[in-house]
Amino acid sequence: MNETDAGGTRATRIAVAFAREAAKSPAGRMCRVCRDVLQVSGAGLTLMVGQRTGPLCATSPDVGTLEEIQFTSGEGPCRDAFTSNRSVHAPRLDDAAFARWPSFVEVARRAGVAGVFAYPLTGTGSSVGVMTLYQHAPGDLTSTQHEDCVAVAEVITATVLSLQSDARPGELGQGLDGGELYRAEIHQAAGMLAVKLDVPVAEAMVRLRAHALSIDVPISELCADIVARRVQLEDDWR
Amino acid sequence: MAEQRVAREARVADAFVELVNQLAVGFDVVDLLTALTSRCVELLDAGAAGILLADTQGQLRVMAASSEEIRLVELFQVQNAQGPCLDSFAAGSMVSSDDLTTESRWPGFAAVSVAAGFIAVCAIPLRLGPRVLGALNLFMTRPKKLTAAQIHLARALADVASIAIVQGELARQSELVQGQLEHALQSRIVIEQAKGMIAQRAATDMDDAFSRLRAFARSTNRQLTEVARNLTEGALDVEQVSAAVADRRR
Repeated sequence: MNETDAGGTRATRIAVAFAREAAKSPAGRMCRVCRDVLQVSGAGLTLMVGQRTGPLCATSPDVGTLEEIQFTSGEGPCRDAFTSNRSVHAPRLDDAAFARWPSFVEVARRAGVAGVFAYPLTGTGSSVGVMTLYQHAPGDLTSTQHEDCVAVAEVITATVLSLQSDARPGELGQGLDGGELYRAEIHQAAGMLAVKLDVPVAEAMVRLRAHALSIDVPISELCADIVARRVQLEDDWR
Repeated sequence: MAEQRVAREARVADAFVELVNQLAVGFDVVDLLTALTSRCVELLDAGAAGILLADTQGQLRVMAASSEEIRLVELFQVQNAQGPCLDSFAAGSMVSSDDLTTESRWPGFAAVSVAAGFIAVCAIPLRLGPRVLGALNLFMTRPKKLTAAQIHLARALADVASIAIVQGELARQSELVQGQLEHALQSRIVIEQAKGMIAQRAATDMDDAFSRLRAFARSTNRQLTEVARNLTEGALDVEQVSAAVADRRR
């Protein structure tokens, strides 16, 4: 069997395996299919369009946190993959990676992640988010794995667009709401702080982020405490 | 025997490679589905195959058929609203009849199919996630039950067809849907932000803040998202919205 045959057969196997799994799984579990089909340690999917983001699913709470931190800190491979519309490979979370994404790499290392690979979810010209794969061991993906990732990202894009096309205007498609991963309290806390400080909401979000960093608490935790009024909003959070 | 098996596996692999290649380079959905029905006939030892797809109103239409006579049998199902394909589409699961000469579920369809020479039928839904897009119908010329391996292969072919259909749909409307997705993500965010603003101003909890937001939107006959966006953009005074009498009706 020559190379092309082997590649074709494998691509076929991946496409079919993914299609079959995707067909029987709810959208919220697509990341598990990614992890199993692509044979990586963990996977997370985040919806992103323009300036708007929302979590879709994560294979573990740690992955959920890593996905979230990229949006609250504004840095990370997932962000970069979305902005550049190209895959971003960080096979080793070394000093160079740390220099590029300090907050992300610090949290990732603590969670035992050694390599990260992010693929934009793009189909026919439109981008709907990013698929990020996490590895416990450092090292590059094989070229076959890379091809499979591109194929799987296309299938996910088609699935997301298909689910959204059935939704009512202004609402997310069935299974696209991110379930428990969606942290409403981050946006609620930003609204609260905006009123308290009399600043625009976007600025309040920046200050929340800075405060969370300065006291070394995950932003979702800080915001949950604010909303539950376990933490008082202060005028000097800037 | 072993050689036959290898030859068969090679044909199955070829069929998938052909489909996946078509998916990769762009394709006409009807062409692809027609090719798929021919492959089904070849690989599954079926007499004929047809594919019905739901249109935007949920009405099934004959999209592809391996022969003209089977197109007419499929059309009969749609026009008379009876048959395994319709049942499979409605239930989202496989529906089959091993011998249509003794079939009582769809008497009209059974008579037409038998008259055309097709004695057994198997309908497999085309699905992607929770969506059922249509169904693939396999017709056999003698009483027959498909083997587990044949059903497995038919399902895999149906899954590839589903991706092809959705990709075709999306090529036409992806920008529109992408805009809707952005709008939906934004709506969710601004509503939470607005709740936070009201909760802070009125010194209340999020549930009550949401009731006030909704009451204000209703009393001014505006959409919730629009009010929320105006609030977060500073075009609406948070004091005014916070003062709305919370409407406890849901």
